[in-house]
Amino acid sequence: MDLFLQLLLNGFVNGSHYALLGVGFGLIFGTTNIVHFAYGPVYAAGAYSAWTAAALLGFPLFLAGLTGVAAATVLGVASYLLLYRPFVRRDAPTFVVLIASLGLFILLENLIAILFGTDKKVVDGYSAGIHFIGPTFYTDIHIYQIASLMILGLALAAFLRLTNYGKAIQAMTDNADMARVIGIDTNKVSILVFAIGSAISAVPAVLILLRDGALPNMGFIAVFVAFLAVVVGGVGSILGAVLGGFLLGMVENVGMWQIPTEWQSTIAFIVLFFVLLVRPQGLFKGT
Amino acid sequence: MEYLVHIAVMACLYVILATSFNLLIGFAGLFALSHAAFYAFGAYTTAILSTQAGVPFPIPLLLGVVLTAGVGAIVALPALRIGGHYLVIVTLALQVIVLQVLINGGEFTGGPDGIAGIEKISLFGWRLSSPHTFLPMAIFGAVVCTAIAWRIARSPFGRALKAMRENEAAAQAIGKNIVLMKVIVFAFSAGLAAVAGSLLARYISYVGVDSFSIEETIYILAMVILGGTGNLWGSVVGAIILVLLPELLKFLALPPDIADKMRQVIYGLILIGILLVRPQGILGEHSTAPALARRARKDAHADEEIGTVNGTEPGEVTVSARGLAKSFGGIVAVRNFDIDLRAGTITGLIGPNGAGKTTAFNMLTGFLQPNAGTIELRGRSLVGLKPHQIVREGVARSFQDLKLFTKMTVIENVLVALPDQSGDSITSVFFRPGTVRREEEENFNRAVEILEFVNLADKAHELAENLSYAEEKLLVIARLLATGAEVLLFDEPLSGLDPATLEEIFPIVRRLARSGKTICIIEHNLDVIRGLCDVAVYLDEGHALATGTPDELVSDPELARRYFG
Repeated sequence: MDLFLQLLLNGFVNGSHYALLGVGFGLIFGTTNIVHFAYGPVYAAGAYSAWTAAALLGFPLFLAGLTGVAAATVLGVASYLLLYRPFVRRDAPTFVVLIASLGLFILLENLIAILFGTDKKVVDGYSAGIHFIGPTFYTDIHIYQIASLMILGLALAAFLRLTNYGKAIQAMTDNADMARVIGIDTNKVSILVFAIGSAISAVPAVLILLRDGALPNMGFIAVFVAFLAVVVGGVGSILGAVLGGFLLGMVENVGMWQIPTEWQSTIAFIVLFFVLLVRPQGLFKGT
Repeated sequence: MEYLVHIAVMACLYVILATSFNLLIGFAGLFALSHAAFYAFGAYTTAILSTQAGVPFPIPLLLGVVLTAGVGAIVALPALRIGGHYLVIVTLALQVIVLQVLINGGEFTGGPDGIAGIEKISLFGWRLSSPHTFLPMAIFGAVVCTAIAWRIARSPFGRALKAMRENEAAAQAIGKNIVLMKVIVFAFSAGLAAVAGSLLARYISYVGVDSFSIEETIYILAMVILGGTGNLWGSVVGAIILVLLPELLKFLALPPDIADKMRQVIYGLILIGILLVRPQGILGEHSTAPALARRARKDAHADEEIGTVNGTEPGEVTVSARGLAKSFGGIVAVRNFDIDLRAGTITGLIGPNGAGKTTAFNMLTGFLQPNAGTIELRGRSLVGLKPHQIVREGVARSFQDLKLFTKMTVIENVLVALPDQSGDSITSVFFRPGTVRREEEENFNRAVEILEFVNLADKAHELAENLSYAEEKLLVIARLLATGAEVLLFDEPLSGLDPATLEEIFPIVRRLARSGKTICIIEHNLDVIRGLCDVAVYLDEGHALATGTPDELVSDPELARRYFG
């Protein structure tokens, strides 16, 4: 029973992490219809930039985190402007853009490995406080992971509802052609969603850096769970991505109760496989 | 020297992988990124059978091919339901699952360490233990596998694959069984990849999960994209370039792990670069129309009018539908719809937008199943049949949005639609090549005749995407005619054409009716209806309100009020 409670808690924490990844990815995918695989290495670049700032340049932790966010934002916007935009402009088939993004994925991931090496990077001198509720424990990072989802999720929802830019994003998510017809600059909106989505991704990246350390291939699983959260929840819905992320976190962790640990990462892929097979439109969306 | 031979062996293996992958993504248009998993299946089958049961060459290879082809056919199942990005993601997920199973497979798969000590191939007392001795084997494997892929790609089956890639609904509408085609192409692509895997296992005497990662799939993908999708020579060239190119890094004397990452960076750059600069790859796609145009034989058919339907009485009812109904959710699209179509007669289907005209066509041709009602062709029920089966029964349709196979030539668009091609069957492609070749020649002549009939013969080798709008409309008629169906349903074949072009097309349609075809046309333009149709059916709110000659309907004040509002 103690184990079960702990797994439930871990599931909730990891679910928040996946949900935030899904929110960032879903914003980009839902709005531009670009399957941005390079979201993974951009997320990793956020973690590595924060590590560089903290460990090499001696920035305070908070400032190092902001450096990570800034780096991911720049890289995300650059990948749109330099790579995706030429394809969007010539109306290339979606699979062409998707393959190009795989190319960027493998390019960036290996550049990170060359620059930083393949050993795990941790921020020395930071240790998160551990707290207990009865037999279950949690750390400061766990709190930050849950809090960051709540703060950023609500802020984004407010931004989308209340500002003109937010409304333009929603219009483009609904129907890009129609948005263009009513005079929305879809290029500008695309830049904006790449900026916001990439910035959001850097937050969980920095928290994972502090919790587990950074590895060059950390982006692969990140972009997959992000995609999974979005697809499970239904493309184009922020709330859907959050629910999808939580569902995944819960299934994966509560599954550990009965399934050996080495299969943990496989669960996500099996869930993805069957969800897409059975309900390509997502679990929480009507037909 | 030994090293160069080793590179040559690896190039042979990647030629197999790239050509088989191209079959799937370039020809069939199925972006399933799990090729390294198929490669792994072949390799592990050989490794396990060889080390744990001592089974000699070539049995593990053959078993691996069969097993992997079966796995490929199963992977085809998601491709039946989903396409586009989702297929890519599902198959990437599948690739990860396969890797995880191999890593967590314990003794059976050797876990993270892989399986070492795989017996080398021995042939006639020769043990192929060095790159030199293995090279002939690798070349032989590459030639055989490429020849198989080549045979498929250049056959009528390969042409049908391309049609399916261009437009699945249109491929069904010309009588292709796309479910079967997807399963077959997956099985072949996977089975051929397994040959490469089995050879690799024998060659390096070791298999480990690192050889079959996602990066490996992307590597093979880069070869196909670089060489050109839909061109097998391109894949051969792409494979050789991408095997050789990273070897140049050896001159930089980088540490091995950095060199390995640099290779990946180069693949990424090439993938991006080629897509930005030359998306069709180094070699473009080529036509599958027979190279030799045997025009001399044409005279044999010259006296037979195109589209002649034998044994029909003009005016005889061919298609008869009663009480058809279809609703989507709560919205009724068609209700209690009756129609009779007659041989030698042109029937017009008119009515406002949303009246249910296209829905009626969709039900008559099996693209939608009616909620109620019967459809019979000369007394045989068509309800419940799939679109491709209905075409073979003799009812074919065109689409309002044309759905031409745009990246295929004009004559290929017609060739692929011709009925009863033995080359559509994969067994005939391999075991009755003579019959297939003979039919190809006959079909080529037939296709030329059909193009001459619609005045498009001079554009035969043009890509369909380069045609003018009026020519596209003519090609739609030619393709529909090519199906050989006796009942032709045209969905707005004349919309958007200028009067001069209409005058060109009218006689074509009239000649078809005179030769015994049953014709039904959805049309909005009342002048067209009056100029062309013998009978018109007025459809409104999913129901046939009136039937009569066009003039009768036009002069009915009630209908005029409804139509013009």
